Amino acid sequence: MSKPWFQDFPAMEGGTLRDLKRAIDDGFGDFIGDHGEAIERFFDPLKEFLIFFEKMLTGAPWPVVIAGLALASWLASRSTKITLGTVAALLLVGYFGMWDDTMKTVSMILASTLVALVLGLPIGILMARSRRLQACINPVLDVMQTMPSFVYLIPVVMLLGIGRVPGLLAVVVYAIAPIIRLSCLGIQQVDRDALEAADAFGSSSWQRLRHVQLPLALPTIMAGVNQTIMLALSMVVVASMIGVQGLGQPVLKAISNQYFALGVFNGLAIVGIAIAFDRALQSYGRRLQKHRQVPHG
Amino acid sequence: MQAQNRLLKCAWLAVLAGLLVAGAQAAQCGRVTIANMNWQSAEVLAHIDHIILKEGYGCDAELVPGDTMPTLMSMMGKGQPDVAPEAWVNAMRGPLDSAVAAGRLHYAGKSLSDGGIQGWWIPKYVADAHPEIKTLEDALKRPDLFPAADDSSKGAVHNCPSGWNCEIITRNLFKAFKAARKGFVLVDTGSAAGLAGSIAKAYERKQGWLGYYWSPTAILGKYAMVRLGAGVEHDEKSWNDCTVKADCADPQPNDFPAAEVYTLVTSSFRESAGPAYEYLARRRWDNDTVNKLLEWMQVNQATGRDGALHFLQSNDELWTRWVDDFAARKIKDSL
Repeated sequence: MSKPWFQDFPAMEGGTLRDLKRAIDDGFGDFIGDHGEAIERFFDPLKEFLIFFEKMLTGAPWPVVIAGLALASWLASRSTKITLGTVAALLLVGYFGMWDDTMKTVSMILASTLVALVLGLPIGILMARSRRLQACINPVLDVMQTMPSFVYLIPVVMLLGIGRVPGLLAVVVYAIAPIIRLSCLGIQQVDRDALEAADAFGSSSWQRLRHVQLPLALPTIMAGVNQTIMLALSMVVVASMIGVQGLGQPVLKAISNQYFALGVFNGLAIVGIAIAFDRALQSYGRRLQKHRQVPHG
Repeated sequence: MQAQNRLLKCAWLAVLAGLLVAGAQAAQCGRVTIANMNWQSAEVLAHIDHIILKEGYGCDAELVPGDTMPTLMSMMGKGQPDVAPEAWVNAMRGPLDSAVAAGRLHYAGKSLSDGGIQGWWIPKYVADAHPEIKTLEDALKRPDLFPAADDSSKGAVHNCPSGWNCEIITRNLFKAFKAARKGFVLVDTGSAAGLAGSIAKAYERKQGWLGYYWSPTAILGKYAMVRLGAGVEHDEKSWNDCTVKADCADPQPNDFPAAEVYTLVTSSFRESAGPAYEYLARRRWDNDTVNKLLEWMQVNQATGRDGALHFLQSNDELWTRWVDDFAARKIKDSL
């Protein structure tokens, strides 16, 4: 007695499916052989930038780095508590022997955030202007956030080798979504009255964007930047699986050797950086909003 | 008529006896957890054990994900999982031997009869183009052939993933051969996937590559690589006392030993499993067989289970030697 037709899904025949997968793999292999070098060269400037950025942070004397980060934290938050917290976190991290790894991670995170901002902000602005573009880009963002990283990391490693650039790509792919979504949202939420006023003064489209939309959307955009940094930090361990130096590597080592203390120390260092960035940026965002409310209120 | 009756009775008795034996075997074997290690040769072996123990010996067999260090630690500490089909024991010889002495674990048998082959490898096309490169020392004289991604004025030695014991060994040998002074950097590859990806990238582009790898693996089935000798004999004492240790102060040049790869089982499994244990004690294969199977899996994009089924279907004469006739029949019926 044969099974009814609805019992087993009428899947593609095993052999055909296998041939399809092999054809895709072979095609990719040929693609690497033909274009790998050109693509790698295309990313060379990015690699140089990453190396430079990392050398700057790891090479600079530690008091200078701490002073710099404390200043940045103060300028963003204007809060003694947050600034002191940042300094304390950095001192602790250094005292526990994780200074170099932390600096490598911080430089990676900052570089990724910068790249995400440079790419994401214009995309978000364009999306805010065109519903059709928004309908196209939203699903792409969904794919980027949900696709398991290793699915695209292994092809990227085969193209570009292991190290910083594939790591940066992985982080940016995962972390760019909030900045695009929130800058789009921020601009769409700008008060229509403000735009009408700008139009009434005869401002060009660029002036309207530069002097009305962006400043008013800034708190939302900053929330996007904040989210991006947090997502980038959550990718530190994944990135270290393709040879990115930093706090992720000791975590991996701890996982595979069951070194409890090592894992917790490095995990806490990541948390420390995350909280420092988060608090500073959040209070920056709050200050921006306050500033906005005063003239209207 | 009576004779016929007796015959019938005999037949019934035989069936009953068969059922009892089968039942007893199933009851004896019970629940077995098999460590499914996260590299391909161990994965396919774990699937073979899974099928054979389940179909042939009626075990309630279950695969659990594993990795050398965590799995062996857990077997020593908690007695779970029950079976590690392909345990590379060199790195943990000391603790394992004392666990065996204390009666918590057993080396059931060697799973790889040749042992695992580890070492530093270069692609075959590099070896062919530069026949003078025979040993590690020779390769370390030519940083220009193995340029590092970050700084092409230096050569790169690709290390094993963080946390694997071979990472410590490679780091120590890197120091022992004074590779840094010869213009090399040690590249951390992060994971097995990263390490394999770096080989694939070099091979597809016909670039130089130097680093740690091991056989049997599908990568070595797919990409022809040449293992470099160290130029010195393997010195067991200095190896065990220093080279494998993270805090080795003054590592000396040394060669990799052939890694001993065992089927490890917990004592409770050995005592309760009966014939299923006998199977694990007999089960072993050589690297040629494994490499061939892994290559087939790679070409056909097969999963560990597909590979195990392919092996069981096409290598009767090997695996039927591992099991008794009764189990062999049941396994064949299940395929």
